Amino acid sequence: MEEGLVRVPIPRELVDVLGVEPQSSFKAKAFTEAFLKNSIQQPRRHDLKNMLSHKAVILGYRRPKKERRKSAKARGLNARQKRELKVFQIKPEHQRYQLFLPLHELWRRYIIDLCGGLKPTSNPQVVQQKLLKADFHGAILTVVRSKCPSYVGTSGILLQEFKHVFKIITRDDKLKVIPKRNSVFAVEINGFVSHIYGSKFEYRAGERAAKKFKVKGTIDL
Amino acid sequence: MALHLKDKEAYQRLNYLYQAAHCVLAQNPENVELARFYCFSQKTIAKRLVLRQDPSVKRTLCKRCCSLLIPGVTATTRQKRNKTRFTVMRCLSCGQRKTLLNNPDYCLWADR
Repeated sequence: MEEGLVRVPIPRELVDVLGVEPQSSFKAKAFTEAFLKNSIQQPRRHDLKNMLSHKAVILGYRRPKKERRKSAKARGLNARQKRELKVFQIKPEHQRYQLFLPLHELWRRYIIDLCGGLKPTSNPQVVQQKLLKADFHGAILTVVRSKCPSYVGTSGILLQEFKHVFKIITRDDKLKVIPKRNSVFAVEINGFVSHIYGSKFEYRAGERAAKKFKVKGTIDL
Repeated sequence: MALHLKDKEAYQRLNYLYQAAHCVLAQNPENVELARFYCFSQKTIAKRLVLRQDPSVKRTLCKRCCSLLIPGVTATTRQKRNKTRFTVMRCLSCGQRKTLLNNPDYCLWADR
């Protein structure tokens, strides 16, 4: 009985008062499940039991030291934290390519807004200058040429951009990790194709926004 | 206000990253890491180019783990009362608390 109450959509009077959009039942279900998973803590307890049963527990007595560490400011950004949390865990198997299509739409609109036009208008130079500073998260990348022939032809939506690597999810819901060096990527918007030489792009996504690009060295694979 | 051209593109990029983080979370409420990655990118860019962000945007980002805070999905919001009224937002992933004062007449540093 109580379970039915959790899944009931908001009554109409409340919708008007709160100014909230009622969600479709599918999305609401996904949200409730995520929330419940976050609130419940069981798996950790099982781990504790295992640990206690296999290892010897030391019982000791230490004098309680006076610890006064009041840091009101937000500390953090340790390497430990980054290792623990930031990168992707095994979720892409959990996720489908279709879930990222809205992200790609958003990217397309962003790029069109940034460049302010389609192919026939401004010359490619201006567009390329803007592309250098632009963000590629959510773009559909294709590997055109590469030193390693098995990479050629891979294409998918860019999920994360690291210093030397692109992380892409292909149409078969596979996470591919493609190194930037010695590869040429093609980005396509509205018929405007731009080739990106990965070797020149070996910077963190945030760093690239501040970087001034100079013409250095040959453009070869 | 006359914005310099480089900054305008950078602001557009920041805005896009913020919207992308929201979009990703809307599609899959369990995938907090990708939203966190985008917000981290956003913070790095703002730091590198020394760009000012609006407080309403900064309030929805966790300072420690850089995840996007949405009350109900990634963060918990509680009201506290100590003579003045506080709203305490707690990030669910790193446990960092954010205390905001409830003062309806508060005006930000909108214009110096």
